[in-house]
Formats: sequence, C-alpha cells, structure tokens
Amino acid sequence: MNLRRIAAVASKEWRETVRDRMFFLLAFLLPILWMLVFGYGLVLDVENIPYAALDRDQSALSRDYLYRFQQSRYFDFKGALTDEREADPLLASGRIRAAIIIPEKFQERLNAGQTVGVQTLIDGIFPLRTDITKGYVIAINSAFNEERLVDYISRRIGISRTQAEYRAQPIKLEVRYLYNEEVRSSWSIVPALVMFTLMLSCPLLTALGIVREKETGSIYNIYSSTVTKIEFLFGKLLPYVLISSMNAVVLWIMATLWFGVPFKGNLLFFLVASLVFVLSSTGVGLLVSLLVRTQIAALLITIIIAMVPTILFSGLIVPVSSLSPGSQFQAHLFPGMYYTNIVRGTFLKGIGLEVLWTDVLALALYAVILRLVGYRLFTKRPR
Amino acid sequence: MMNAVSGLGSQRAVIWWHRLVVMTRKEMLQLFRDVPIVAFLVYSFTLAIYITGNGIRSQLHDASLLVHDADHSVSSRELIHRFQAPFFRLNGEVADSREGLRRLDRGTAVALLEIPPRFHEQLVTGEPTAVQLLVDTTNSANGLSAASYAARIVARFGQETVLNRVGRAEESSDGLPLILSEHRVWYNPDQNEAWFECISHLLRQITIFALLLPAAALVREKERGTVEQLLVSPLTPFQIMISKVLAMTVVILGATAVGLFGIMQPVFGVPIKGSIWLFFTLTALFVVTTACMGLAAATLARNQGQVGMMTLLVAAPMLMLSGITAPMEAMPVWVRYLMALSPLRYYIEIANGILLKGAGMNILWDSVLAMVALGAALFGFGMWRFRRQFA
Repeated sequence: MNLRRIAAVASKEWRETVRDRMFFLLAFLLPILWMLVFGYGLVLDVENIPYAALDRDQSALSRDYLYRFQQSRYFDFKGALTDEREADPLLASGRIRAAIIIPEKFQERLNAGQTVGVQTLIDGIFPLRTDITKGYVIAINSAFNEERLVDYISRRIGISRTQAEYRAQPIKLEVRYLYNEEVRSSWSIVPALVMFTLMLSCPLLTALGIVREKETGSIYNIYSSTVTKIEFLFGKLLPYVLISSMNAVVLWIMATLWFGVPFKGNLLFFLVASLVFVLSSTGVGLLVSLLVRTQIAALLITIIIAMVPTILFSGLIVPVSSLSPGSQFQAHLFPGMYYTNIVRGTFLKGIGLEVLWTDVLALALYAVILRLVGYRLFTKRPR
Repeated sequence: MMNAVSGLGSQRAVIWWHRLVVMTRKEMLQLFRDVPIVAFLVYSFTLAIYITGNGIRSQLHDASLLVHDADHSVSSRELIHRFQAPFFRLNGEVADSREGLRRLDRGTAVALLEIPPRFHEQLVTGEPTAVQLLVDTTNSANGLSAASYAARIVARFGQETVLNRVGRAEESSDGLPLILSEHRVWYNPDQNEAWFECISHLLRQITIFALLLPAAALVREKERGTVEQLLVSPLTPFQIMISKVLAMTVVILGATAVGLFGIMQPVFGVPIKGSIWLFFTLTALFVVTTACMGLAAATLARNQGQVGMMTLLVAAPMLMLSGITAPMEAMPVWVRYLMALSPLRYYIEIANGILLKGAGMNILWDSVLAMVALGAALFGFGMWRFRRQFA
C-alpha cells in the first residue's frame, strides 16, 4: 500500500466531485433540506382526526357529550350529519375518518339509570390511525362516564363527591416519561433523521462514483495504472467518507442548536460512532457499484436497498421490537438499526460505549465485511 | 382533393404512431438488457411486498414490559397479568427499579411498571393507591400509546376490584348510567395490517421506479450524446420524452399486476372491491405523472449523478409525508400544501379507495383531477426545458 498513490486517487476523485458543481452542492444541501423538511414536517402523532357527528337526540346531554370531541385537539369537527347514510361517501372519499352517532333517547335513558350505546364508525384503511382513533374515543367516553358515575354514586349512596370519585377510580396510574420528558415528537424524530439522511446519501454518493468510471470507461486508466486494488478502493472512498462525515457534524449542529434537542451523551463517542457508521454505509454503496454496470442500475438499487429498509426496519418509525421475527432478522441485516440506537441513545438517553458497544461493534463488522467482499469482487482484469 | 388531404393526414398519423412504438420498444429493450435492474424489478414487486406485508406492525405491539413488584400479593399479580398481548409482552421481573432503568437504557424494554408495597392492603381497605409506569419515549408516538393502553388496563382493573368488593360484579355495567362506546371499523373490519402495509409498499415501489428510471434514461442520452442522434432523426422532442414514460408505464403496470394478483390477493387476501380496470387506468395515470416529475428534474440535470441526487431529494419527502408512512392529519399545514405537489398523495386515496373501499370515479374525481392537472403542468415544464435545450 502506497500512501501517495491513495492520495492521488483521492485527490482526483475529490476534484471530479467538486467540479460537478450541482452534484457537490446537492451532496451538502440534501441533508440540510431534509432535516428542515422532516424535522418540522414529519409528525408521527395522530391528531386533528376529521370526523362528523350525527346527533339523533339533540338534548343538553348529547350536546355536552359531543362538545368533548369538539374541544379535543385530537379531533377536527367537519360538520353535523342529518342522516347515517351521509357518512358513507364522506368516509369513502377520506374527507372524514370517523363518524359518531348518538342514538335517540340518549339523555332520557341515561337519566333513568340505563346503559346507552354510542356508535362510532371508523375508517380502517390505516390501522395505526384507526387504532389510535379508537383509543381517543374510548378515553373521551370514559372520562365522561366517570363524571356521570361519580354523580350517580354520590347521589345513590349518599357519600361525598371525593369519596365517590375514589370509588369510581381506586388506582391511579402515575406515568413518568423517560428520556423525552415532554414527549416531543421532534425530539424523537430529529436524532433519527441524522441516521436517515446519512443512510440514504452516503451509499448513493459512493455507488455513483465507481460506476461512473465503469460506464464512461475511464476506469481502464486505473486498470492499466500501477494503483493496486486496495489503494484504488481506499482513495476512491475517501472523499465520500469525508463529505458524509462533514454532513454528520452539520446534522448534529442542526439537531442541537436549531431544533434544540438535548445532547446528553459524549460528543467524542458520538463522532467516532458516526464515522464507523459512515464507513459501513459507504460500504453498501461500494458493494452495489461493483455488482452493476450502469449508473441507472446503481441509482435504482441503492435507493431501493437503502430507502425502503431504512423507512421500515431501522426503528425510525416502528420500533424494532414490534416487528415480526422475520422482519427483526431483516432489520439486523441493515446498518440503520444499530445507528438509530446510537443516535437516540447518545442524544436522549445519555448513554455511551458501556451500553452501545454491541451496536458499534456490529457497524464496524459491517464496514469490514463489506470492504472484504468489495475487495474480492473488484478486479483489475474484467472479463 | 379533401380525401387526399385526409388520407395524407391519416398516413402521417400512422407514421407518427409507428415511430412512437419503435422508440418505446427501444426503451424497453434497453431496460430489459440491464440484468440487475430486471432482478430488482422482480424482487421489488414480489418478495419485497411479501416481506413487508408479513412483517410490519405499525401499531403498538408486543411492547416489552418490565415489572418491579414490591407487593407480591394476589392483587399485584392479578394486575400484572392484565398486561398482555397484543399490546404488551411481559419481559420478566426486576429486583429493584435501578435494575429496571438500566434495562430501559439498554433498550431491551420499553416500559417499567412499579407496584408499591402494601398495594393489596390499600386496595382492600379502600385507601387510594397508585402504581407507577416509566415509559421510554425516545420514540414519542410509541411511548404515548404504551402509556394510554396502560392507563386503560389499570382503570378497568381498579373499577372491577371496587365493584367486586361492593358485590355488584354481576351487574357491573348494566343498570348503571354508562355510555358504551361501540366501534364499527369500515373497509378493513379485522384490522388486518398486512393489507395496509402491502398496498403501501406497492405504492412505494411504483413511485421509486416511475420517478427514477425515465429520468435517468433521459439524462443518460444527454450524457452520452445519443440524444443528438435522436434529435436529427425524424422524431419530435415530444416523442423522445413520452416514449420513455410509456415504456416505464407498461413495465410498471405489468409488475403491479404480478404483485397484486401474485402476492397481495392470494397470500394476504387483499380484496379488490372496486373496478380493476379503473385501478390500472389510474395507476397508469399516476406512473405518467410521477415520471413527468422525474423528467422535469432530468432536464435540469447534466449527468446521472445529479439526477440521482435530485430524485432522492424529492422521493424521500414524497414517501415519508404523503400519508403512507404516517397519517397526514397531524402534520403542519405547510406540509399539506407542499404535498399537494406530490402525485403519491392523490394516488394513495385512489388506490385504497378502489381496492379496499370499492370507490368509483364519482368519489375519486377530485383526486384524479388534481393528478391530471399536476401531470400536465410537469409535462409542460419538462417539454419547455427540453425544447429550449435541444430543439
């Protein structure tokens, strides 16, 4: 291995990248733009669920009940219905996601001490939203019930309201939110976005670099030169590792200073772990570039193998522990998951190497194995 | 005379069509000769759909729960027992809360339930009592759902114990002035998550292929200079651009049919309630619109590296914010305005509408109209740029 030759390959690659001004600009602009768009725009909470209500009772109590939904920030009132059939096209077109139907004699029966059923029609297309909508309906309903029950018990048995309140709810659940005490969506999204952005941009940058030479034929200069395989691979990847590492630092600065996400861990550990991650994700690009001949194929394949598993299996949105065993296995095959643990761990939990060493080790192994495979696949004497 | 003119006109039209068909065929040949692309096309529309349909559960599911039970009584055991599948999975007991916190740090558990000493005693004597739940909120949405499920479980347990003690268990809910919340879930009554996940995945794959391949194909011609050859041929710029779109549309429709009839319908039982012809027609419209978006980007790029970065820049927000990864309702208003530019946003309503809801044009017309307008604008922009550059 000759350091001067590595430096020569690297500087050639660096110049080529810098001279393509649009590409160079995009390589730095893309992480920043994504961070802004997703940091503000990607909200995983379910709120403002559009709904319509049909009040067949039109009594004081039914209006009070429906008012609870109108007041809630989880629901967005889209209008009153006069007939159940009106709900059908509204749900089908997606203008509303739920319809609440209050039956006749709602107030009368409740005052008579009878049980009443209130029907909710929910759009079942998006199971996550359906499930959470159901949860909100149940929560609003039981809060309403509890108040009615307390009234009823205190009147029937003749005890004070506080005693009756305890009767209705004997155990309190005290919830303490750890790591993200105010449960801000942006605090959990923004650190994971560091992973998302690097996981997508690094392999693409790298894959294009090598295939471009293959497609245009300029790689024959390398084949006929004294540069060895290992020197070529090192030098070729160096500029992309550099760009990606700079991006990691920029993303960290944006997350902490712009979005105000607390960074509780050790910065040095974070930087080293990020470098290891960058090395392993550029390895993905290297592998793709050695398997294909055209840039178009390199683009498509890197985007598919980087984007889809990163959205689905990296823990960005769905926690890995909630996946089926088969998908969990798949999640462990991609570097994204390990780095998600590292970013969320260092940002929010304030943990370091003592806990995260397994993830760092997995990433390091990943980087090494991909490079060994790349070394085996790359040949200076193509058929 | 008139006949001769119209005869000439129709002859011209035949030649025009013939040229378009030849160009489209050339695009398809070029695509199918790239073996890695074909391999990934097949993988994406079969195995990948199977894996996601099978594996992803977006709802809180099997959240692993640790318990620190300082009481070890009948009541505490009974309460712990209530934390069950599908939402929770008991991951064992810890001796003290510090051990529990360490496990939360490590990420091997999502929540820690702490039951205080004298829990049973307090419950029996009628003293107010409280249990504590520590939730990992590094993933805020999941932390919140875990907390809300836990609250429901504890509330139900408390009410039942009290009613039991008063001896009204038999008539627990009946005879009390309670409102029962009854739910009817439409379109997917069993809440089969595989339906949503595999449809979403199909849409994701269609979007990536439609956005990327025609764009890269056009830039490749520019980069290699073969576009000059095409321009000196009798082809119009319109034919050069639209043939790339047409080739991709045909390929994607074929792949979609394979995914739909080969995997989604037989394996996951996805119903096709609406008109299948309408579905494929509108899928074609979506592919054309998305491809036009890619082509518009391609006219701005000089090489495939640039077009790759540009499509990636556009594709990620489309896939993440259009409403298949997370519901759109809670997102800020500007995201909804931005996503008005994403054809995927309309196609999601269309695909789910036709397949699961059985909707027809009478319901979907506004989404279709928006997509047509968007496609026309993008195509117009792309043509204008392309003409200015070459013709």
